[in-house]
Amino acid sequence: MTARQQRPPLPFPSKEATVSPEELVAQCQAGNVEAFETLYHQHAARLYTLACRMAGSPEDGEDLLQEIFLQAYRKLGSFKGDAAIGTWLYRLALNHCLDYVRSRQAKMNKLTDTLDADTSIQPTARRDTPIARLDLERALERLPDGCREAFVLHDVEGFDHKEVGRLLGIAEGTSKSQVFKARMKLRALLGKA
Amino acid sequence: MHPTESAIHDYVDGASDPFERNAIDEHLVSCAVCRQLVEDLRELKRAVGTLEMREPPVRAWGRIERAIKMDERDRPRAAFLAGTSLYWLAAAAAVILATVVGLRVLPGRSAPNGEEAAEMSASARQAAEAIESELRLAESHYENAIKGLEAAAKSDQDALDPRTAATLQKNLEVIDQAISESRAAMRAQPASEPAQQSLIENFKTKIALLQDTVALINEMRKGNEAGAARIVSGLKNKG
Repeated sequence: MTARQQRPPLPFPSKEATVSPEELVAQCQAGNVEAFETLYHQHAARLYTLACRMAGSPEDGEDLLQEIFLQAYRKLGSFKGDAAIGTWLYRLALNHCLDYVRSRQAKMNKLTDTLDADTSIQPTARRDTPIARLDLERALERLPDGCREAFVLHDVEGFDHKEVGRLLGIAEGTSKSQVFKARMKLRALLGKA
Repeated sequence: MHPTESAIHDYVDGASDPFERNAIDEHLVSCAVCRQLVEDLRELKRAVGTLEMREPPVRAWGRIERAIKMDERDRPRAAFLAGTSLYWLAAAAAVILATVVGLRVLPGRSAPNGEEAAEMSASARQAAEAIESELRLAESHYENAIKGLEAAAKSDQDALDPRTAATLQKNLEVIDQAISESRAAMRAQPASEPAQQSLIENFKTKIALLQDTVALINEMRKGNEAGAARIVSGLKNKG
């Protein structure tokens, strides 16, 4: 057998590839922190993105991410496998973000009804270039609390207005108006008005 | 006439009914302003579709790992405390409360006020002294129970979020102030029933708050948020 005919060596399988999601969860449930780190790396980006956008800042997003994964570690024992682990983590993260948003709103006692009175957003001069992703991320952070969460849940995360209303504890119609207001603010911020 | 802004958003979302959709289609042919708005909203929608996931900073896992290790380290201790000393202390405090409350409701043992004390017979004075001595004993029992609960609460206070810990601390300071004032009143009028009652009530309040603090710490350690929320809500109601 020539070298050319030899079968190439099989790549050494990574730990992640050899462990099924069920096994990984079982290891995490047994208190294996290394397995939990693997789980973290599989899902952190999605949850961090959600947390940053809901909170409106990467700093708050990072704090939320820590709380979400600590809570996940504590609660993994109650995970029965009825849904995928990613779905379970997403729900946990979303609930945590919503709790954060609610407590911040309660603290500031500032609801989005004040959005019309908001003067912090100055429209940018009209630009006819396509909206750049980074500009949109930055503009999202500048949206007022309340309409930002509704926009993220509806336009980014894909929930319908009924679900957004239920999640944020507002009427379906209010969800619509908040999303529309957020879009108009973004249009102004991105030089599209 | 322009369609409403809301109707334009619905149009862009594909949520308009066919009649409305046709009406807007017709309007857009002749209205550059609304056409521009529709184009901008579609452009925004397209841009949202290009948003990517954000990678957390590398340090984020380190922070989580440290938090998990601290949590792991503290959990067995909390479970031990919950199973033994803290519950024993709480039970001990409850027994002391029951004893002292029982002592206070014994018939014929209420302390006389200032005027009555002046007219007291020797035997009545002896009875009053006996009550004072019993109260002093009860006070020392209270203080021991409080000391134990305080130590337990203090050693595990890092399980509480700083705001809750600060609120509890503030409440304890208020109660301590009230205890000091009751003590001062007792010194001025040892036989005064309101002063005795106030001191005992303040001890009971402090023990209850410490018991709640310890229970809250235990719930936080166990990760039982519902239990912790119930205790915090109870604390708020008491406040």
